[in-house]
Amino acid sequence: MTRFVRQAQYLSFLLPILAVYSLFTIYPLLKAVFLSFTNFDGYSKVFDFVGMKNYARIFSDDAILSAISYTLFFTFAKALLVTALAIPLAMIFDQKFLTRNLQRAVFFFPSIPSGLLLAYIWGFILAPVDSGVMNRILRTLFGIGSQPWLADPLLAKVSTVVVATWAVTGWHAILYLAFLQAIPKDYYEAAAIDGASRLQQIRHITLPLLAPAMTISFMLLLTGGLKVFEIPFALTKGGPGYETYSITQVIVLRGITETQYGLASAMSIVFFLIVLSIAVFQVTIMQRREQNVQ
Amino acid sequence: MTESNKRIWLLDLLMLPAGIAAFFPFYLIVINTFKTMQETARNPVALPSKWILTNYIQVFEETAVLRSFGNTLTITFFSVVLIVLIGAMGAYPVVFNANRITRIAMIYLLAGFMIPFQATLIPLFQLMSDLHLIDKHYGLIILYTSNSVFVFFLMMGYMKTIPRDLSEAATIDGCSVWGIFWRIILPLLKPITITSVIFETMWIWNDFLAPMLFLNSSSKSTLVLQIYKAKGEFAVQWPMFMTLTVITLVPIFIFFLLMQKHIVKGIAAGAVKG
Repeated sequence: MTRFVRQAQYLSFLLPILAVYSLFTIYPLLKAVFLSFTNFDGYSKVFDFVGMKNYARIFSDDAILSAISYTLFFTFAKALLVTALAIPLAMIFDQKFLTRNLQRAVFFFPSIPSGLLLAYIWGFILAPVDSGVMNRILRTLFGIGSQPWLADPLLAKVSTVVVATWAVTGWHAILYLAFLQAIPKDYYEAAAIDGASRLQQIRHITLPLLAPAMTISFMLLLTGGLKVFEIPFALTKGGPGYETYSITQVIVLRGITETQYGLASAMSIVFFLIVLSIAVFQVTIMQRREQNVQ
Repeated sequence: MTESNKRIWLLDLLMLPAGIAAFFPFYLIVINTFKTMQETARNPVALPSKWILTNYIQVFEETAVLRSFGNTLTITFFSVVLIVLIGAMGAYPVVFNANRITRIAMIYLLAGFMIPFQATLIPLFQLMSDLHLIDKHYGLIILYTSNSVFVFFLMMGYMKTIPRDLSEAATIDGCSVWGIFWRIILPLLKPITITSVIFETMWIWNDFLAPMLFLNSSSKSTLVLQIYKAKGEFAVQWPMFMTLTVITLVPIFIFFLLMQKHIVKGIAAGAVKG
């Protein structure tokens, strides 16, 4: 008897998490799969199954196609840029210098506030008019004419990547720093005795031992990047045209604003599959590389 | 000057422009809150010719920034408490009473780890309106509790480091399942609780998508949502808008100063254990 009661008591601890997770994550996901095969418009009770029609429509919808291509561009460009900057930054933060703590704080702080706020601040700097701060600075320092930072398709895309990179590089540098500090100093001393230059030490000791950190950092950058919404939304509202629409923004537009539930649900499912496959692919590749290094 | 001293100064000097560039947006936004609109338009980069506080007075008088602050505080506080509690509770039987059922539950929770909020958004919107949870603070709080899956995995990892003998000894002493959790396990979870609270607080405090979708009345706005709405209202009044933004940044900055060590430790611990 008591054994049974104890088991039941233990299981009761699982009930809250299973309840909220089933209700707010699993059920909506399954419902999205279901809706993606229908022409439900959010209002009428009557709707039909339309097979794969919604999935086919994804590939003829300009806004959705643009959102997928922009989101992938944003994700990979930001991930590469952040990684290329965060590793050297972490190496610098690993050195002793007077303003080290201040510099760490300066680079780390942008990862704390909401991306929406940060993007609005940058919106002021990148205002594509003559009076914009960036245009003013470039004109004064280098005599460069005004650039349409957020109005030109390519410049707008690059601007959103740069702002997002500025926001998270310090955070990822701190992650790399944790791994750098775990590398025993003897490795470098032994290498120095053997006559290895500083660059050779970085190449053959530091970078290989940072491989696990790269797996984690890149994984976070990719999954985070795919879910991007605030930064382009606040900087460009998705424009010009649909050029900087994120997948999230297009789901909100087609689903919530226009109540095309079927189409938006199909988009949601495709999005989920993209996130899942990139995560699986990336973990597999990175782990194989880590093993090769070891 | 010794060799190593020279190198120290070199790094300081080398990093100075980078630091200034990284900090520049914050400098810019703060100084412009002390200028008139005309001066901001004329010269946004320089320090104010005359420091004025009109923008701050106006923002506090004309916008409901304090109410939004209160709303955000309420939503964040209750969400985080519930998330951490639900996550810790869920991890407890999985670690201390492992059997086939708890294992299945764990795999079920793990399966959902990769499901992005965005992928469930459309049905979630219907569900929230069917349950009459739209435009209510508690509705948003209930929705946020599904974040406890993330905390569940943090807690599970940490609980595995707690010796099993502890709960077994308590069981022999006649402590109930409930009592063991509250009196023995929960107090031991302090370090991972701090990490969980920090990450969940940052996520909920900063969240924009869920408040935008599920809170309509401006009296219920969170700070981030109010900033978004103000961007429309103050379209060209940059100093006013920036003042609102700076006021919003102040509590975040204080949080950062107080918690920086813990955040850094959390990133390191989370990453190294991976």
